[in-house]
Amino acid sequence: MTQSDTHDKSVNVLVLTGYGLNCDLETAYAFELAGAVSTRVHINALISGEAVLKDYDILVFDGGFSWGDDHGAGVLEAVRLKSNINEAMYEFIGDGKLILGICNGFQALVNLGLLPGFDGDHKARNVALTFNDCGNFRDDWVSLLGNPDSSCVFTKGFTRTEFPIRHGEGKFYASPKVIERLIDNGQVVFRYAAPNGEPAHGEFPFNPNGSAHDIAGICDPTGRIFGLMPHPEAFNHWTNHPDWTRVKESVKRQDKSIDFELTDGIRLLKNGVDYIKAAF
Amino acid sequence: MPARLEITLKPDLFDAEGAAVCKKANDYFGFGLESVRTVSILTIDIDLTEDQLEAIRTEIFTNPVTQISSYKPLAIDFDWILWVGYRPGVRDNPGSTAAEAAEDLLRIGLKPHEAIYTSKRYCLKGGNLSFEHADRIARELLANDIIQQWKVFSGEDWNQDTGVGIIIPKVRLDHKPIVTDIPVDSDKTLMHVSKERGLALNPNDIPTIRSYFLREDVLEQRRAFGLSTPTDVELEYISQARSDHCNHNTFKGLFYYRDLSTGETELVDNLFATCIEEPTIAIKKQKSWVISVLWDNAGVGRFNDDYYYVITGETHNSPSNMEAYGGAITGIVGVYRDPMGTGKGSRLIMGMYGYCVGPRDYHGELKPHLHPRRLLDGVIEGVRDGGNKSGIPTPYGQVLFHKGYLGKCLVFVTAVGLMPSQIKGAPAEEKATSPGDLIIMCGGRVGKDGIHGVTAASESFSVHTPAGHVQIGDPYTQKKMHDFLLEARDQGLIAFITDNGGGGLSSSIGESSQFSNGCVVELEKGPLKYEGLDQWEIWVSESQERMTVAVTPEHQERFMALSKKHAVESTVIGSYTDSGKLHITYDGRTCAYVDIDFLASHFPQWTFEAEWTPPEMRGLVEPELAAPDNAPGLLLDLLAGPNICSKEWIIRQYDHEVQGTSVIKPLVGKDRDVISDAVVIRPVLDSFQGLAAAQALLPTYSEIDTYHMVACAIDEAVRRVVAVGGDPDHIGGVDNFCWPNIQYDPDDNPDGKYKAAQLVRANRALRDICADYGIPLLSGKDSMYVDGYLKDGKGETHKVSALPTLQFSCTSVVSDITKCITMDCKFAGDLVYVLGETGNELGASEYYEHFGHVGLNVPELRPGSLMKLYQALSRAIQEELVASCHGIYRGGLGVHLALVAMGGGLGMEIDLSRVLTTGAEQDHVILYSETPGRFIVTIDPKNRSSFEELFDTLPHACIGKVSSKTELVINSLKEKPMIHVPISKLKAAWKRPFGELV
Repeated sequence: MTQSDTHDKSVNVLVLTGYGLNCDLETAYAFELAGAVSTRVHINALISGEAVLKDYDILVFDGGFSWGDDHGAGVLEAVRLKSNINEAMYEFIGDGKLILGICNGFQALVNLGLLPGFDGDHKARNVALTFNDCGNFRDDWVSLLGNPDSSCVFTKGFTRTEFPIRHGEGKFYASPKVIERLIDNGQVVFRYAAPNGEPAHGEFPFNPNGSAHDIAGICDPTGRIFGLMPHPEAFNHWTNHPDWTRVKESVKRQDKSIDFELTDGIRLLKNGVDYIKAAF
Repeated sequence: MPARLEITLKPDLFDAEGAAVCKKANDYFGFGLESVRTVSILTIDIDLTEDQLEAIRTEIFTNPVTQISSYKPLAIDFDWILWVGYRPGVRDNPGSTAAEAAEDLLRIGLKPHEAIYTSKRYCLKGGNLSFEHADRIARELLANDIIQQWKVFSGEDWNQDTGVGIIIPKVRLDHKPIVTDIPVDSDKTLMHVSKERGLALNPNDIPTIRSYFLREDVLEQRRAFGLSTPTDVELEYISQARSDHCNHNTFKGLFYYRDLSTGETELVDNLFATCIEEPTIAIKKQKSWVISVLWDNAGVGRFNDDYYYVITGETHNSPSNMEAYGGAITGIVGVYRDPMGTGKGSRLIMGMYGYCVGPRDYHGELKPHLHPRRLLDGVIEGVRDGGNKSGIPTPYGQVLFHKGYLGKCLVFVTAVGLMPSQIKGAPAEEKATSPGDLIIMCGGRVGKDGIHGVTAASESFSVHTPAGHVQIGDPYTQKKMHDFLLEARDQGLIAFITDNGGGGLSSSIGESSQFSNGCVVELEKGPLKYEGLDQWEIWVSESQERMTVAVTPEHQERFMALSKKHAVESTVIGSYTDSGKLHITYDGRTCAYVDIDFLASHFPQWTFEAEWTPPEMRGLVEPELAAPDNAPGLLLDLLAGPNICSKEWIIRQYDHEVQGTSVIKPLVGKDRDVISDAVVIRPVLDSFQGLAAAQALLPTYSEIDTYHMVACAIDEAVRRVVAVGGDPDHIGGVDNFCWPNIQYDPDDNPDGKYKAAQLVRANRALRDICADYGIPLLSGKDSMYVDGYLKDGKGETHKVSALPTLQFSCTSVVSDITKCITMDCKFAGDLVYVLGETGNELGASEYYEHFGHVGLNVPELRPGSLMKLYQALSRAIQEELVASCHGIYRGGLGVHLALVAMGGGLGMEIDLSRVLTTGAEQDHVILYSETPGRFIVTIDPKNRSSFEELFDTLPHACIGKVSSKTELVINSLKEKPMIHVPISKLKAAWKRPFGELV
């Protein structure tokens, strides 16, 4: 896929692969739908210098089971990257580029300390994603509340949406002080919601994992580093949505046709792509 | 000095794993535990400094936000402590990744003897437990003595300074590898050796084997390489290749079939050829979408011009029965290697599962090795980790409870892959080895794993003997290999690829060297997990996560560089030749030299006596059942039956959305909680085409006649894919047979002849129905010994044979996914149709089973015009005339109307008098008969005439309508309301049995 407008700067997205990551294909595809040029790059290619982080605008820590999720989801991925390409990552952040962590990638970001990134400290581990309270891996679509006050560049215009979650270790945990600080800073980007549109207040399965403050995703204070447990890339087509056959039938009865606009998943990624286009 | 690191959650954090153990101990055993806290232990057997130890503790193994850790035992309150660790040689996946991370952080390389081992400590509080209670939790909940060891500590036993001690489950064999020559002076001698060494040679094969090794020309050729009588390596090779598992001797056998009611006899020669191979070849000629069948690791069908899909199904019954988690994860990860090794390799896009186990609440006399509840838990978790960690969606599955599976459970695992139609301009489905190609083994290392499977299980354990005969699959290692091999494939570096599964290198190299007509293998080059394996063990080891690849020498460098990039171990262990010989050396000495075409020589065909006793002669009769007093109550009871009720707890543990391809999910409807007929994925993301898939099994029908068991299972799987929008003219099938032993033995298997006849009849149904429906068998497998020997409370042994079971899988290509539909009714006022006629066919139904009857009137498939009906339905779906569609399966019309209503969250008003019937003349017969070939369809009333026009003379009837009152109302033949139940009550009943499980 190519850029819709050749005048635009091409936005280059690096999607990590290897070591058990497994959402790289659809994440790369979803970013292409969002107007970027995606490249799947093996973690070792980044370490060996075969690929150079500087050539990219958005770095995606995609979902999967890096290192089998042994010793804490995202922990060993963080160790490998920290031990090998720490400086390049800080430079990338310093250049004002974007980092997105989805599910296992979110877990890696918090273990790297790139999130929450209080006071520009991208090393301190202040928050954690730990085992779901339900005691098991869970696949379900969740309802999410966006935070209009958040500086997150990916979620501009998101008030309420739905994405699938698929994880065993998605319970967001931090000390009450840290949670308060995240709230005050507008760093809480997505919260799990109940069917009535209110926050889930911990109620299962709306809050599927027991996350503190129903937190499903946070960003750093700049809004340029964003991690979330739900998978926007798995909502890349309208037939991904669990209600699509019901919605289609309903639309048909009103003699309308289905709206083929971008899904919320692609819209979220496109916000990031558009940000880069505007900023660089 | 090894170090022991203990890690646990901070005390104020909820310990979900501990809580789950606590709940299970209380639920399963009635203990009154108050809490369980878990401690992860890493035993670090690496020479490290204090600083290095501290670095890995803080930087890797301790999350500062959630965890605390120490190299001294952590002080945690307890009444009892349980420690559980692996036995030597059992795959310790987290141990390996821990070592990898330590190497990375400390920038060191581990020496061969160094490793990290993981284990767990559980701190139990409350419940006034005795030692026996605590030990029972360890034995029956946490550990399996086949792969694990454990210790129990009371407060008095526990020493806070030494903790659990330092336990290093390292394999030490102290054995010098040796090749043994086997005497072949007489049949008796060889048979004796075969038994002694667990070779499992068939007595009928022994003369053929002997005469080969005694041939003068063979002897002379062998002498040149220092060989005389066959070596153990050679006999192991022959044994593997001739095994029923690899060679399907049973299906290729000669059956003397006799019908005991008519006295007629006939000779049935080779079920595989006549019922599977020939019909599939005939269909392949008619259907150009069938690309590659009957020879490779999996079958190949066309998805579109640019892509092919690949499918196969396997079972992993015996290992799962012994160690449920290990067996199941090895099964699913193993079957995933089949598509990886089909053609030049494919990417995995979907997995499916089927579990047949004993009743979850079994509390009878028999003592299976694992209680069905625990076994099912383990199997579910094994497939969960195997699928999820491979990044492959697992959207479809089924679970069936029946006491026949107490002896041995069935674990079906199915893998679907996708390959481009061309690779560098060459057909992707073709592959061959050529003289000069290198033999490369990729992935895991070789250990004593899986050698001689079950025979090893009876060997006694010592502290350092590997307990590797039951394996634990490693999806992480395999995922890395999968990504690597796809990249190598796309660069055109792979000439041939196949997996190392049953038979290990012996099978993979033995089969692949048939193409080039020879090979030379240098066995000492195969990387080992530990020293001390005999040559024959390296040759037949079934250590997992390995593929054998043929690479031309000019591609070697690029192939190896890619392998390194992906952190995958690849080793050249020999080369293909055209010498006509399988030639194996070890340190330069020949240990096998066998003619490649020896296996094609004439081995005697297996023979079976088969005697069919028709159900009437077996005393089966149709019970005289009066209409039930409480019709609504009966419907609720049936919905709550273990084989009908919701199993959402399993479905949600499986990632069914990874790869972003999900179109029709396993759970559908207004509340997203009712089970879909089939699933659909969009495997090529920028295409609107989809792949529909479903499976079915109906083993209870075998109690009457296996012919109809098979016929109805095929029909159900077909209807399932058609119901979501699959194309009836493109249906691929996969047959997975699981059968009890059919070899008659007056003492051990007195009904063996009957079981053999059941197999013949089953195969005939497979042949007949696939021919009628135009279904090629893309792949299939058979597992022939589904029997178990269980002790009862008094120590007496009972043989338990499973019901003869066929799982049938169907795939279908969907040309436009946006036309797919779901089973939930959508709008009040919509018309409800039943397609097909309902007969008086309650034999072996859910209804009869509920009342403890088998009956006689087994549902029979009358193919005739059924395909026309399915084609008409398909057209109606393509023309978007259908709002919902659901097949009528086990439980009959009553159960499935309830599911359609529950799915839509709407009511229905139904008149049984409007249902088309043939011979079904009572309300309860119409409601619960399991006649195949039927669907429930709801449509917008404005589509009525166009819909009915499509069906013309085909059986269809409008039987009522969807209503906004959320009640299911069913009026009897006498037009009186007989069932009148709120949807919420139906759903509550349906969810009741397993609704509490997560």
